[in-house]
Amino acid sequence: MNNTAPSKAGLQGGLVGSYRSSAGTGYDELLDAHGKPRPHWRALLDGLDDLSEADRAARAIRLDRRVRDTGIAYDIFSDPRKPNQRWQLDLAPLVISAAEWRWLEEALTQRARLSDAILTDLYGPQHLMREGLLPPELVFSDTAFIRPAQGVLPEAGGLQFYAADLARGDDGQWRIIDNHTETLAGIGFALANRVVHTHITGDLFKQVNGVRLAPFFNNVQSTLTTHSGRENARIALLTPGPLHEDYFSHAYIARYLGYLLVEGSDLRTKGNQVYLKTLEGLKEIDLIVRCVDGRSSDPLELDPGGFDGPAGLMRVWRRQPRLIVNAIGSALVQNRAIGCYLPQICERLLGEELRLPDARRYWLGDTASRAHVLANLDGLVVRKAQEGTGRPGQAALGQDTRALSEADREILQREIKLHGARLVAEEKIGFSHAPIVTRDGLDSRPFAVRFFVARTPAGYQAMPGGLAMTVDPERAVALSAPDGHTRDVWVVSDDEQAPHVSLWRPTLETARVERSQRVIQSRVADDLFWLGRYSERADWTMRVLRGALRRVEEDGGPATGRHAARKCLDVLLSKSDRSTAAPSRAGTGDIEIEKLCTDLISASTGHRTLENTFEGLYRVAHLARDRLSLEAWQTLSRFRPGDTWVTTLASAPPVAVLDLLDEGLASLAAFNGLMHENMTRNHGWSFLDMGRRLERAYNLSEAILTLFIPVPDAEEETASLLLLLELADSFITYRSRYRLDPMLPLVLDLLLLDETNPRSLAYQLAALARRLERLPGSKQSTTLPEDRRLILALLTAIRLADVESMAREPNGATLERTMLEQIQMLPALSNAISRHYFNLTEDAPHRVHTRIEPHSRSEQSP
Amino acid sequence: MMFEVSHRTHYFYSYPVIQSQHLIHMSPRPCFRQVIRNHSLIVDPAPALRQESIDAFGNPVVLLDIEVSHRELILHSRSTITVSAPPPLDPSRSTPWNMLDAHILGTGRSLDLDVLQYRCASRLTTPNLDIEDYTVKSFRPGRPILEAAIDLNQRIYDDFKFDPTATDISTPISQIMKQRRGVCQDFAHLMLGCLRAMRIPARYVSGYILTHPPPGQPRMQGADASHAWISVWSPEAGWTDLDPTNGLIVADEHVTIAHGRDYDDISPIGGVLLGGGDHTVSVGVDVIPVG
Repeated sequence: MNNTAPSKAGLQGGLVGSYRSSAGTGYDELLDAHGKPRPHWRALLDGLDDLSEADRAARAIRLDRRVRDTGIAYDIFSDPRKPNQRWQLDLAPLVISAAEWRWLEEALTQRARLSDAILTDLYGPQHLMREGLLPPELVFSDTAFIRPAQGVLPEAGGLQFYAADLARGDDGQWRIIDNHTETLAGIGFALANRVVHTHITGDLFKQVNGVRLAPFFNNVQSTLTTHSGRENARIALLTPGPLHEDYFSHAYIARYLGYLLVEGSDLRTKGNQVYLKTLEGLKEIDLIVRCVDGRSSDPLELDPGGFDGPAGLMRVWRRQPRLIVNAIGSALVQNRAIGCYLPQICERLLGEELRLPDARRYWLGDTASRAHVLANLDGLVVRKAQEGTGRPGQAALGQDTRALSEADREILQREIKLHGARLVAEEKIGFSHAPIVTRDGLDSRPFAVRFFVARTPAGYQAMPGGLAMTVDPERAVALSAPDGHTRDVWVVSDDEQAPHVSLWRPTLETARVERSQRVIQSRVADDLFWLGRYSERADWTMRVLRGALRRVEEDGGPATGRHAARKCLDVLLSKSDRSTAAPSRAGTGDIEIEKLCTDLISASTGHRTLENTFEGLYRVAHLARDRLSLEAWQTLSRFRPGDTWVTTLASAPPVAVLDLLDEGLASLAAFNGLMHENMTRNHGWSFLDMGRRLERAYNLSEAILTLFIPVPDAEEETASLLLLLELADSFITYRSRYRLDPMLPLVLDLLLLDETNPRSLAYQLAALARRLERLPGSKQSTTLPEDRRLILALLTAIRLADVESMAREPNGATLERTMLEQIQMLPALSNAISRHYFNLTEDAPHRVHTRIEPHSRSEQSP
Repeated sequence: MMFEVSHRTHYFYSYPVIQSQHLIHMSPRPCFRQVIRNHSLIVDPAPALRQESIDAFGNPVVLLDIEVSHRELILHSRSTITVSAPPPLDPSRSTPWNMLDAHILGTGRSLDLDVLQYRCASRLTTPNLDIEDYTVKSFRPGRPILEAAIDLNQRIYDDFKFDPTATDISTPISQIMKQRRGVCQDFAHLMLGCLRAMRIPARYVSGYILTHPPPGQPRMQGADASHAWISVWSPEAGWTDLDPTNGLIVADEHVTIAHGRDYDDISPIGGVLLGGGDHTVSVGVDVIPVG
């Protein structure tokens, strides 16, 4: 696109006519001082103008839907009844001109070089402190200064990732309001925003001629591979785990770059090496991309309560300083007070003039600054000098002094004197405004933006994009955006863009993706096993519900059908333990069955209710999501607790529930199909499959026992057989094979013994046996492990069963014994698999500490 | 004085420990007034990896990685050490405490970072307003640093009661200040909090103290103990050790193991275990004067 082309937007018509800047005396990104759109926005405005109002609204809705499906907004462990961590993505991006980007990139990479140089000095010769360019108490009071990193960090190969939060003041100048040097600082959110946004607005992106992100991430990949010193490096992204507010970003970027996503408990040190615990034993790790706090990276040498990294990591790191990016200790340059001293430091370390300064701050450890602040407390915000990096937009607000009572103000003044070394005071700054799309056209909002920089062999490179968030200008000199209203950042290119390259292609091209996925952490195997169990449990429960409601709503058939359905509902609700008498047929009115169905969907009691199952399903899917394809994940998003589908299911009338169940079953079938078609047949897949087989075997055995013991009369037997065939999804198979009404021996043959029927018990057990056979370590020992012994017993019992005679037995004793045996041994098998394969992670490390033995001072000379 | 020090720690675990890693500060450091004649640290079971180095505060430190399953662990440190008494002190001649900034920063020389780092509060020594209020009574403007510090040392000795049942390892100094009870470690941390509220460089010292049996009774074996006290810095005297638990200026009956900002930096035995269940520990310390 070139900027001189005729532009409707230039004529003040259309959308831009609806734009009401609320920037006031501040800077407006869209309009210049004369109220004309700036040239680099025109292509976007034209593009938006060309869309009908309905199309814009539809795109906004699709965008919202996509954000939810991708999972950016969700924190799975938060209370589902509480509002989610919000995350909205606006249809309008923030547009940055090519010329401005050139300036920004130079300024940002200078800051990355400067941060690197400061760290190298502070953990090395410490000239800055000795020469008085940086107050020693500022550094020594910062808990992010990690002593054991002294002398090690300078050998680490340089600061790898840097990010900065910027705001543009009323004078039109950018200023840095926060620096991020500890972790990846939410780069995954920025990438996910871009992927989601261009999915909906790819045409606009082309019209604007935006710069793509893929080449940047390609460079990051090859840089890290080079950094590790190994061509086929095993690279792990170390995350604190799903409880961390930034977990989405960790999982997303790990998958995108093709790295393993690991937690501290997945790793262990041995000698001078870090290993990943896998099903096949310990595997060496070549590079750790650190997304955990430096202080929590080694409970042995650093924060004794921090178990986010493996004990002994510091010891290994001292021998291999390039093992970890960013190096442990890097958070030190996030200290907000350093900004006060940067111009001189930049001259001293780089011999350059500082291009992009920090927002104006005062370090309260300095006597003169403190005196100034104490005398002018009104209008200043007091804030911690060091604040960790969490989810973007979650920076703390700082203390506004105007609202304080006289007594509180006095305490604050004393606190400032006592703890000044850890505090800064800041003047409020202006934030520039940029447009957002509303129903009425364009509106304006103040924002701050996070930019990302990475080290490459050719020097630091800025990601041509970013994460813009709407801020409340009254409250912040930080990226504090509790509303989670975000915008993608588009950098306009000067050049023709290369033809579209899929963002996902670089990872597919690298051999190490395949390599790393072959390694299955014990923890991940556990999660996949339960993913299999929960998805099958959800499937079965929905089939039971559908069977029951159909018998009420649709066919109005014989009471025997409803009675059979009720027995299945009861057992899932744990209301019947089979020893008590079965409910009488008279007690199976429609209303009663509907009530039971409602209970099975959402009753607070009973661990097998559909809601509980969905909750478990979604939780383990979340835990294992770096192993799932995006499509597979999206099919499951329907089952998220609190999602519309789930809440509607709990409140809809029975007829509508039937439709919803059909949808739910279709989603699960799609999920299973995707897993079956798309997941490599590694050990992880084996565990997923085993989980599903085990759950299905159990449910089927339980249903047979429930429906046919005690032995029903002939009429009810037929109804029960029909229901069973429906639950086991084998009705068509039966009819095509026998063309007869269901008969017990034939149905039992099909559902118990027939190893060619993927729904039969024998098929599940045989599959389980095959998977166990192929797992690592299954042939090492001379004695059979517990899990193999159990599956052999289960499978043999079924293979030896004689269904003809079982079906003839008037009291059904053999059938009962056979099914009970399955029901008792299957949970034992599940436990045995857990013990055998997952227990590496069960045993959490813990720290011991000796207290100095007290002794009485009466023994002392005074 | 010359001492033979034996420090034996014996752990018993209720379940086998699969892997254990330890960070050990049980090797006395050489320092002003203290010479290490002899030292050994015996570890049983034998570790797969043993690394000896010097930590960020200049203390000897031993890293252990034990890879064999074990239910007991013995760490036995034995040292022969000579300690000499400090030269006589004239507290009234040290710099006034509120002139310290001018003294440190006004010289134009390269700053002594090793001293300055001990001005700053650490996790276990962060003061609060109560502690500041308590401290200022000893620190009227213009009072020499050492005079004020010795006064504070005596006040803590007088105002606080030694009570091993009152605190545990996680009791913060704000709590010690309120309840006025604790053990040597608590008093050392509290006094560091006080001094750092005044921005006086001060450090935590761990070590041993010679105990004197009641008159007429023999020394009991293993009855001595680890001890903790503080060291305060003044431009004239350098580091001066004060023992708030006993209300005295340290002479030649204290043996130093290590210094740090607080206990976290130099805990004698820190460990991370896999397995082990509950543990019990028996500790025997002997400090025997040999001439």
